[in-house]
Amino acid sequence: MMLAASVPEDIFRAILQGTPPGAVYALIALGFVLTYKTSGVFNLAFGAQAYVSAALFFHAREEWGWATAPALILSVFVLAPLIGLLLERLIFRHLRTASAVAKLVVTIGLSVALPALFGLIVDFQAVAGRTPEGIVPDGASVFYDPFGVYAFSRDELVALGVAVVGMLGLAALFRFTALGLAMRAVVESPRMTELAGIRSDRVSAFAWALSSVFAGMAGVLIAPRFNTLVAADYFNLVVVAIAAAALGRLVSLPRALAGGLALGIFIALLNTFLPRWSADNAWLQAIQENLTPAVPFVVLFGVLVLWPAIGRTREAADPLASVDPPPPSLAATTRSAGMTVATRVFALGFFLVVSLVVFFRADDSWIFLVTQAVILATIFLSITVITGFAGQISLCQGAFAAIGGFTVFQFVDRYDTSVLVAAFIGAAVAAACGALLSLPVLRLGGIWFAIATLAFAFFFDAVMVKLSWIGGGDTALLEGTRVPRPTIGPWDFANDLSFLALAVVVFVLVAVAVIQIREGTVGRTLRALRGSEVAAASIGISPARARIVAFGVSAFIAGLGGAMLAMQQQNVNYPSNFAPFAAMFWLVLVVALGSRTVEGAAIAGASFALFAPLVLRGDLFAWILRSPDRIPGVFPISPEWRFVLFGLLAIQFAHHPEGLVENGKRQWMRRLDRRAGPPVAPPARQPEPVDPATGAGAEGHDVTAAADEAAPVGAEESR
Amino acid sequence: MTDTVLEATGVTKRFAGIVALDDVSLQVDRGERVGLIGPNGAGKTTFFNCVLGVERPEDGRVLLEREDIGGLPVHARARLGIGRTFQRIELFTESTVREHLLIAERTRRGDGRLWKDLMGRGRPRAEEVARCDDVLELLGLADLAEEPIERLSLGQGRLVEVGRALMTDPKLLLLDEPSSGLDRDDTAHLARTLQEVQAAHGFAILLVEHDVELVSSFTERCYVLDFGCLIASGPTAEVMISDEVRTAYFGDVEVAS
Repeated sequence: MMLAASVPEDIFRAILQGTPPGAVYALIALGFVLTYKTSGVFNLAFGAQAYVSAALFFHAREEWGWATAPALILSVFVLAPLIGLLLERLIFRHLRTASAVAKLVVTIGLSVALPALFGLIVDFQAVAGRTPEGIVPDGASVFYDPFGVYAFSRDELVALGVAVVGMLGLAALFRFTALGLAMRAVVESPRMTELAGIRSDRVSAFAWALSSVFAGMAGVLIAPRFNTLVAADYFNLVVVAIAAAALGRLVSLPRALAGGLALGIFIALLNTFLPRWSADNAWLQAIQENLTPAVPFVVLFGVLVLWPAIGRTREAADPLASVDPPPPSLAATTRSAGMTVATRVFALGFFLVVSLVVFFRADDSWIFLVTQAVILATIFLSITVITGFAGQISLCQGAFAAIGGFTVFQFVDRYDTSVLVAAFIGAAVAAACGALLSLPVLRLGGIWFAIATLAFAFFFDAVMVKLSWIGGGDTALLEGTRVPRPTIGPWDFANDLSFLALAVVVFVLVAVAVIQIREGTVGRTLRALRGSEVAAASIGISPARARIVAFGVSAFIAGLGGAMLAMQQQNVNYPSNFAPFAAMFWLVLVVALGSRTVEGAAIAGASFALFAPLVLRGDLFAWILRSPDRIPGVFPISPEWRFVLFGLLAIQFAHHPEGLVENGKRQWMRRLDRRAGPPVAPPARQPEPVDPATGAGAEGHDVTAAADEAAPVGAEESR
Repeated sequence: MTDTVLEATGVTKRFAGIVALDDVSLQVDRGERVGLIGPNGAGKTTFFNCVLGVERPEDGRVLLEREDIGGLPVHARARLGIGRTFQRIELFTESTVREHLLIAERTRRGDGRLWKDLMGRGRPRAEEVARCDDVLELLGLADLAEEPIERLSLGQGRLVEVGRALMTDPKLLLLDEPSSGLDRDDTAHLARTLQEVQAAHGFAILLVEHDVELVSSFTERCYVLDFGCLIASGPTAEVMISDEVRTAYFGDVEVAS
């Protein structure tokens, strides 16, 4: 590096420096836009796909000792397209008419399931500190300096070259081949293309395979930039790709390409020209140091907020879109009164049995796990409010929970506040953040709300956590973020059992509040909004106000739960508890099991903490068989399987948004009904196609076909 | 003049160079039934949206009871007394018929504070239920009050939309092609019911409609839009036989008599 460089030279160097990573961003953005345009799937699992290819390449090179070429062929040109084809064929082809949000949730589930599944099948585990190598020997240590201002590493040059080849190939495909023409047609309108005699399924399958190759290639190329191969980093990468694609307004491939390059160069420019603040402005310095990795998230958030029209880019695209039946609504029908009573009676009985067992029989480790389950269930109630009631996907609940935890840490550490008071302050701060955050993103509907919250979660992760007045800064790295247990008057909750009792009390209070909200004005308003926003506005409901309240309440609950979790572990433990990728599993669990009900949140909490030890480790079998020696040989199963299991379970969200528990119960009720009562006549004419889950009678009353409003019938109800 | 409910003056709306509405002025008086007709693409829906607040016109004013509502969002206009139904039916999925009316009633009362919910005071109150049931009775929907909305026919669904709008105490009810998707009997039943309800509540109706029969029998006055311009207005019976309307609908053909 030269000492006294002129400004133009600095700019030139920054451009050169930013181009190779920009090219990789562009590569992954291209693949992302390709999938999005041809199948309408906003594929968050793209990062997971990139990770799997990179991991297989790494594994084949390191563990199996393969040469570069076969490892590359296997990971990028065999495995990657195979995954793409399988996803299209097994999942997304059947979801063509599902709502965009439902598809998004499916890809979130896949983001969790795919890396875990790969790790289990190949027996791959990331080894800390073993830096992945690139596809050329000595990629990181041999440099070329063509212009005398910036030295490219071999890896960077390869990335650049591959990106150029990929883009040219894609351009040629679109311009000169019949398949490319068909793909362009499918982008415009799949149904119109089918009318022209082209099987849009096949075109779409090809697009999935092709874009997956892009993902795999980008994954392998970017691997040397990470110290350790971790799925979370790759999830991060897909957010960068979304930012690049959003800069290109998500519609055109050339713009996505330009967006990726622009992002890479912009980060390099920022690194070069951002003024260096002195040490007396420590917090500014902390922001500055962490700003560069956060640039994509800031850009993404900015694009979404400043240009909300992006949310309408696709919806209007297909002139034949209205021929498809409308997708099922995000959440399911109300349950019957009988089922509610039955559920509550059962839950109470179950609760009594479990508490007896826990208080009298359980050892410390079980008490710890049960407490964790209860606290997680509390946090999950925040997802019940925002996703189950308001029908919106929030991916920053982890950040809100962390705000709760950090606030307790800060208040107790600095001002020696009472811990419980601090917990409520934390929840209030989280609620304020939630309400504040919802202001700019209110106008964004559906998936764009989810993406904006994701961008915020990553921004929080990259910048805010590092600040000394939030996450504790450097001292926290050394000393941890310690949080004591609370005391109320004579009661000291340092004892694990008494803290469990406190956690249960908090959960019950929050659950009652959530039920009151659901039955009250706010819940009913949100249900109306979820059913039809235009109709809700037409009777005077302000969508903005209702959503601010929902998001604020949700953030409050998450903050309170986060504070409780920090108290339980006596440490905030941000990376393992609240990081975006970790918190994504929360959402997956809740939507898989049931986002509508308190019961769903409770079971999700139990699954989070207890599924692995109880079921996968085989303790439940041991208990049933009354002997630890007679556990079947398949146990213990790796706890990683829960990511696979629940990740894949989240796929059914597209068809049964009410979740596994509620849907299962409904199936049972229907079976009972069929045995008890006469067959239920199907409704004769419906304004909308009826969800299979709601079409048949849920209560066994006899509904005669209501064809003509002149003769309204079917009212002999007995509730 | 004091009895004017809706007054639109010089409403002009352009979409990327296309003039969707060109200086449209229209007036609806209290208790009146007014039609707005015109061929496809004439700008009826755009005008509707300008009144409702879905679109903002470039020029012109929209007055509700002589108050300028041009700057207000959709829900604020709804609270001031503009109710509507939808061409493609818009109901709240997974709710019963009565729940539709109850939430509209609660919104009208406007006391849906979060803390009241938390105190358990957010559930429907007896007087709210009574008022909803009165309207359901009036619409002939009383027997369907507990039905989930998915089980209703299209005609019943449209009546639920009317009922939901009625709960907001509208001064003006905008009906967006209420006959679409309904057969003759259903349409006649809807028109009859609407007339009865209007007699009881006394709001004004502005009807956008393709069904000439319905417009002729249902409205007292009507306006005709073509290519964004008002081409005729007056008592419905006269407008229907005017030359302008024939030209707009059937083209510029000399009728060989």
